[in-house]
Amino acid sequence: MIEIKNLTKNYGKGESRFKALDNVSVCIKDGEFVVILGASGSGKSTFLNVISGLETIDSGSVAYDGRQLEAMNEKELTKFRRENTAYIFQQYYLLPHLTVEKNIKLGAELDNNKDFFPLIEAIGLAEKRKKFPAELSGGEQQRVAIARALAKNPKVLFLDEPTGALDESTGRLVLDYIIQLQANRGFTMIMVTHNANIAETADRIIRMNSGKIVGITENTHKKTAYEIGW
Amino acid sequence: MIVSLKDSVKLFGISIMTCCAVTVCNLFLNYYLDLAAVAHLIDNPAAQKFYDAQLMTAKVVCAVSGGCLAATTVVMLFFYIKHYIDSHSREIGVLKALGYSDLKIAKGFFVFGASVLVGCLAGCLLSFILMPRFYELQNADGYLPDMAIRVHWTLLVFLVLLPASVFGLIAVGYSVLKLNQPCVNLLKGIVKTKGKSRDSKDKKSFLEDMRSSTLRSRKTLVFFIVFSSFCFSSMIQMSASMKDLASNMMGLMIFIIGVVLAFTTLYIAVSSVIRSNQKNITMMRVFGYDSADCKRSVLDGYRPAAYIGFVLGSVYQYALLKVMVSIVFADIEGMPDYKFDFPICFITLGVFIVVYEGIMFAYGQSMKKIPLKQIMSE
Ligand SMILES: Nc1ncnc2c1ncn2[C@@H]1O[C@H](COP(=O)(O)OP(=O)(O)O)[C@@H](O)[C@H]1O
Ligand SMILES: [Mg+2]
Repeated sequence: MIEIKNLTKNYGKGESRFKALDNVSVCIKDGEFVVILGASGSGKSTFLNVISGLETIDSGSVAYDGRQLEAMNEKELTKFRRENTAYIFQQYYLLPHLTVEKNIKLGAELDNNKDFFPLIEAIGLAEKRKKFPAELSGGEQQRVAIARALAKNPKVLFLDEPTGALDESTGRLVLDYIIQLQANRGFTMIMVTHNANIAETADRIIRMNSGKIVGITENTHKKTAYEIGW
Repeated sequence: MIVSLKDSVKLFGISIMTCCAVTVCNLFLNYYLDLAAVAHLIDNPAAQKFYDAQLMTAKVVCAVSGGCLAATTVVMLFFYIKHYIDSHSREIGVLKALGYSDLKIAKGFFVFGASVLVGCLAGCLLSFILMPRFYELQNADGYLPDMAIRVHWTLLVFLVLLPASVFGLIAVGYSVLKLNQPCVNLLKGIVKTKGKSRDSKDKKSFLEDMRSSTLRSRKTLVFFIVFSSFCFSSMIQMSASMKDLASNMMGLMIFIIGVVLAFTTLYIAVSSVIRSNQKNITMMRVFGYDSADCKRSVLDGYRPAAYIGFVLGSVYQYALLKVMVSIVFADIEGMPDYKFDFPICFITLGVFIVVYEGIMFAYGQSMKKIPLKQIMSE
């Protein structure tokens, strides 16, 4: 369980000080699929980065099963990330001079996972595993990024607009992969999006505006990636 | 035009390199010309031998240091141009798409010659500052007629204007070659990758893969690392021997040049590796690799190159001094015999290990400071 209490994050100093997160509190259950929904600039990415330990916490607390992030030093945070989290970004950030297979190894090795070939098959890239990222389409690159993240068997997967750079049909395909993998493996998944349609695939929707949570809804009519509008 | 004079300021490595080369060359060539002018005043065979040896030394020193440094400067120039084109590939791609010819874009790279101009001018200035002391020491031997410093303006042409324009032209020529690639590749920022790495054994761990591909993707940097430790090793050991063979001043000069060149090239190489791998390092850290892992995969691949450079430097300085002593100064009496100086070599090696590993460690620590958020802000 992830307990987030009174979380605040400021950028800048003095006059230009800006509250990107304003007293945010929420609880996320294990195995839950949560979507953070909000307009551009509402603080979604900041929220994701802070609760995943990529950014420091100004005040408030984030606790994973009682272990507090804000109390960890750099070394402990690294260990925490290594053992618990994985990330998928809008820009795929694959390592350009390594092949698909070796990019996935980046994740796999952190969990001593030698058996990651099924994962490459699962994302449908078995034939392209010797190719370099620049030789793949955007959707394929994002699938590699998914495999890279899942190869380390994370307990929590963070996604920041994972389909933001993709066209509709590729976007649906990628989203479907993600949702299916989550359903099968049961990890916790927190996804940021500005697209209200995409939010309908989640268990729970957290709405954000100006750095605040403005609403949390249980989604009783979960849809698949192919049922939603785009 | 996309390349501006400001960009050529970033080429300070070239300025430093050419400054060192011109300092040495101007010092010795100026001396050489002044020496040649007093040739008719020499009246005894002993002085004649000494005169010949001095003339030969000036030639050898200029050829070796000038040649070496000029060659390295060319490599460095190529490196900067390639780096510039890679990091501005989108802008350049747009220009090409709009119909600019390769040559038209490449012409802009002529300003890279400015860094050479600056370096050469600084070198000339420095050598004229050093010259009085240098002549004083040479005159002190008393074998040859006393010489006064004369300024040879032709040297300024050959050591300043000529190199600057030649390097400017080389820059244009090389960038024409580099720009000759499909527009789409430039726009997409596709870097050519060698097919070989695809088939490498899959037994290697990710960090090892990362290390070897980092090495492969930046081969010029291997050269720089070798050059850096080569300079460090050869010039420091040489300067120690110089104290006995020539003068303290020569020793000190070589020492300073060696240290400056070594640190400049090392800095250029390592900061470039880190800059170009910044996203990769961030990504690794986001996934939970620690900074030691990142350092191992990005920097440790260069270690063999560094130590090979050290060995080459030791051998080179031994060979050079041996040749000087046994051939150039063969007939001069009272020249001490030259043997490889093991204690100095080991001391230099010790210092080298501490300095090199220390710097690498510091760079490794600096990877901790790259904010993880940075990766998202593009
Ligand atoms: N490093 C930063 N420095 C200053 N302001 C920032 C920084 N990062 C984000 N912000 C600001 O914080 C607000 C929220 O940003 P972000 O979390 O990226 O929004 P979202 O992901 O919802 O589009 C924005 O107004 C943005 O300008
Ligand atoms: Mg965002």
